Amino acid sequence: MEEEKEKQPEAPQGKKRANSVSRRTFVLGVGGTAVLMGLGALRYVGHNPICRPPGGQDEIHLVDACIRCQRCYEACPRDVIVPAHIEDGFLGMRSPTLDFNNSYCDYCAEENEGRPKCVEVCPTGALVLPAGATAQSTIIGRAVIDEHTCLAFRDTGCRYCYDACPYEAVVLDDYTPYPRPHIVNDKCNGCGACEAACVSLKAGSIAEGATERAVVVRCLDAL
Amino acid sequence: MDSKKIRTIVVVAVFAIMAIGLIAGIQFGTLSGFGWDTFSAICPIGAFTTMLATRTLLPRGVISLIIMIALILIVGRAFCSWVCPVPVMQRIGNFFKRKSVKKAEDDARAKELRDIATYELSCGKKCATCGGCKQEHPKLDSRHAILGGALASTLIFGFPVFCLVCPIGLSFATIILVWRLFGAGDITWSVILVPALLIFELVFFRKWCGRICPIGAFQNLFGRFARPFRPQIDDKKCIETTTGKACSKCAIVCDADINLRHPAFGEHTLDDCTRCRACVDVCPTHAISMPFIAKKGASGAPVMQVADPLSGVKEGK
Repeated sequence: MEEEKEKQPEAPQGKKRANSVSRRTFVLGVGGTAVLMGLGALRYVGHNPICRPPGGQDEIHLVDACIRCQRCYEACPRDVIVPAHIEDGFLGMRSPTLDFNNSYCDYCAEENEGRPKCVEVCPTGALVLPAGATAQSTIIGRAVIDEHTCLAFRDTGCRYCYDACPYEAVVLDDYTPYPRPHIVNDKCNGCGACEAACVSLKAGSIAEGATERAVVVRCLDAL
Repeated sequence: MDSKKIRTIVVVAVFAIMAIGLIAGIQFGTLSGFGWDTFSAICPIGAFTTMLATRTLLPRGVISLIIMIALILIVGRAFCSWVCPVPVMQRIGNFFKRKSVKKAEDDARAKELRDIATYELSCGKKCATCGGCKQEHPKLDSRHAILGGALASTLIFGFPVFCLVCPIGLSFATIILVWRLFGAGDITWSVILVPALLIFELVFFRKWCGRICPIGAFQNLFGRFARPFRPQIDDKKCIETTTGKACSKCAIVCDADINLRHPAFGEHTLDDCTRCRACVDVCPTHAISMPFIAKKGASGAPVMQVADPLSGVKEGK
């Protein structure tokens, strides 16, 4: 650190010329860099598996490139893209994930002729689709049915998920009195239509202890 | 209406429009990535770090950087006072401070700066010719070190590290989290922790803008070449040069801690001027102006030699 150069004599108290690297500058610079290095090291702590919007299936690339600008949230015509929770890890916090409570991802088939808007607006290329990607080939996740909370498994004849699925990935079996739904893993791309349609937490049909719907989309890493 | 009010209105309006766009799904983007449809102007730090992390040149990133640098070369750090929500949020923080404490702090600052003026004026030389006010400052400070640290961390760990804690990003995140809490019943600790982190940064580091912010550091690196709209003093009008009495109102009012009359005593130099016009407004004799082209010989005109800014980034690591 440079010593202060006092060119003028009798400098009154508390009057410093600014031309020296002060201890404060040094501490802030080193401390700030250390904090940023520590934050960077969060990369090795990782985060819980998070379902990503179309184009975010390469998790490493997404974390590399996402600057959390939130453009994909507002671009999503169905409002299914939301910021990931801090509960899923500080590194993943505010990165894009999907919430199928009210709607599902149709790959912008209706709104943008099958070109996902989130991918189009992403300014950093964090969401990027491989060439020739289609809704069916973009595996957001996979639906999983919880047979303990599913109403169909209580012989209610519920088949909302079956009706909702655009990819024939939900099939009904021959169980009597009412058939029960099952997921065809090869056909499911995790679009969330079944989760959005599921009534297991609605209309007083809540199963004791259930915190999520009876059919939910899990990302592949979480399965 | 003074420029402080106009500035506050501009900042709040920009933030509000973007926040409403975010909630309503109208596409303006945020300050981190501003734009419509496929057009985007990305935050320079975000653009730089995302390209560094992915080791690719993004057309949108490169164009954004070029546009930002071009703007900074004209208006310096004007973003900091005219667009960035952080200074306004810090003023909101000040609002909660006890009046007596605030007054004591303001008085202490005013006294210190007036004492400096008295001290400098007592040198006996004529201000306009003395040269004692020559700017001698380190060309880099803690902000540049933190900018270097952010880039280094991104290079090592491969993701835009600063974006995790950027107060501008956290402010927009707060909006969407609160909206999701009430609009969609999305309950998460993020809705507490994101604003808490933001408040921590702004309260604990009250000089965030001048000592921490790497976005400010980036703007400083190029803003030092920006000549238009720098404030300059007309020595024929300035109280200190005409009467020899201490005034220093321009220094007291400066949020960027620049001492326009006695540059050597400011924490920063005119390289960090945010073009906020506070000094122009406050000057009792209207001696300060911000001309597009600096008048020769006027005080406040740049005299500092400029180093290659990129060599500084390397040192900053």
